Amino acid sequence: MIDNGLLVQMILGALLGLSVYLPMAAGQLSLATPAFYAVGGTLAALLSTQGNAQSAISLWAVLGEMLLAGCLTAGLALLVGLPVLRLRGIYLAIATIALVEIVRVAILNLPFTGGAAGIFGIPQPFQKPFGYVLFSGALLAVCGWLFQRLEASRLGRSMAAIRDDELASRCMGIHTTRVKLTAFLASAVLAGITGVIAAHYLNTWNARQGSFDVAITTLAFVILGGSRSWLGPVIGGLLLTALPELLRPVGDLRLVLFGLVILLGPVFFPQGLITPALLERLGRWKP
Amino acid sequence: MSGQASAAPLLELRQISRQFGGLQALSEVSFQVEQGEIFGLIGPNGAGKTTLFNLLSGVTPASNGTIHWRGQAMQGLSPDRHNRLGIARTFQNLRLFTGLSVLENVLVALHRQPQGGKLDALLNSSRFRRRQSELRERALQLLEELGLADQAHRQASGLAYGDRRRLEIARALATAPALLLLDEPAAGMNPREKEQLCELLAQLRQRHQLTLVVIEHHVPLLMQLCQRLAVLDFGRLIALGTPEQIQRDPRVIEAYLGGSR
Repeated sequence: MIDNGLLVQMILGALLGLSVYLPMAAGQLSLATPAFYAVGGTLAALLSTQGNAQSAISLWAVLGEMLLAGCLTAGLALLVGLPVLRLRGIYLAIATIALVEIVRVAILNLPFTGGAAGIFGIPQPFQKPFGYVLFSGALLAVCGWLFQRLEASRLGRSMAAIRDDELASRCMGIHTTRVKLTAFLASAVLAGITGVIAAHYLNTWNARQGSFDVAITTLAFVILGGSRSWLGPVIGGLLLTALPELLRPVGDLRLVLFGLVILLGPVFFPQGLITPALLERLGRWKP
Repeated sequence: MSGQASAAPLLELRQISRQFGGLQALSEVSFQVEQGEIFGLIGPNGAGKTTLFNLLSGVTPASNGTIHWRGQAMQGLSPDRHNRLGIARTFQNLRLFTGLSVLENVLVALHRQPQGGKLDALLNSSRFRRRQSELRERALQLLEELGLADQAHRQASGLAYGDRRRLEIARALATAPALLLLDEPAAGMNPREKEQLCELLAQLRQRHQLTLVVIEHHVPLLMQLCQRLAVLDFGRLIALGTPEQIQRDPRVIEAYLGGSR
């Protein structure tokens, strides 16, 4: 039932879930992930369709695009993050939704991004989906390792402290603005490079890739998966991306079922599927 | 006023005022706290004690007046800057990191200690692990001093009330302060615990070379603990002196017992 094509999308979902999780681990409800995802995807689409149209692109070129997308989204996140991270809670969420809208409308209307139809014929670095599975899977593995290290380090501890009580963190001498900005930057970079991979994999890119819907879906990855450990958004991203496809046999009812899962998930698993207690039982994840 | 750094008091408030809208929470409060002193702050509810702590820890800025730290004016500094200068505090209504374990609460506050290198952290090198286990040792030692070592791995939200108060002190101590501001450290403790806390604070001051400023409603505890006291009433400093002086001060008696105003 799960073919390589779906597997790629699931892994991309997990990466986006991690991107939403990062600011949330520092107590910041940011929904900006689709904006940076769209910037990364558009950048890759523009760069790789320049000049004479090719059907293939070297892996090195894709890695170069990822590097550029990382720099661009980091710069944008720095610019946006400094003023926006002064907001708290729902106000931050609204400001980041505004960012998503601004980026979407910009991509829709800029003269070189193909309007509503978008950009077509984005060249492929891999001939088969399996190549993408390996590539994005490797990226997910690296991310998992980095997140595991993060949670055992000072930065991860400071983020957890800010999530619990920002004022107390400041009074303990933690430079909370810097910590929150770091989390926001990392989140943006991760979304940006995920966008690069997605653009090549999907072969086409348009403004709808980074819409408000994506913000809500990726938020659901974290809510359902659990926001207390990086494993939560990974599991949430994998499951919730797969679910609509796995439910395809039931026809349009699948959308209702999908909605039910998102609705009932928090009722039965208020802390998400992956909870600290579960990890405690699994033992080896927490030091 | 002497400008010499060596002669300057550790903390000096000069004509500190703070308004909240039409409310005058503090008006023209001035006093000094000397190095090594245990300084008490008392006053009826709403006298401005916690507001004063918020000013001293950078949480709220003063409307007027300046606060000097080791002879230097601290103006417009953020709470984290205040902490880095050596001022740590506890909170009257407990602000622990409740999602973290008792040990992690202290570890968070040890963030300015060397961590063993960023690259080492990434690679989980033996240097990093050694350094982290040293930090855990240090945190455990602080917990030991406050009698919380046996609860190190419990979640902070699961602690008894008195233990939470002590964890707040351990966490503040972990930032290696010179001045510790304690906002009602004995609140909710029984008389025996209060007695123990008193001894503990005296010990901690010795061991960590601390200067303490303590807000407390339980006046006998302060009388026993402090060298000097300041009394606030409706935002004004109405008395300043040794416990004996304070006890005899007619304005203090009036503020506490009421009188013909």
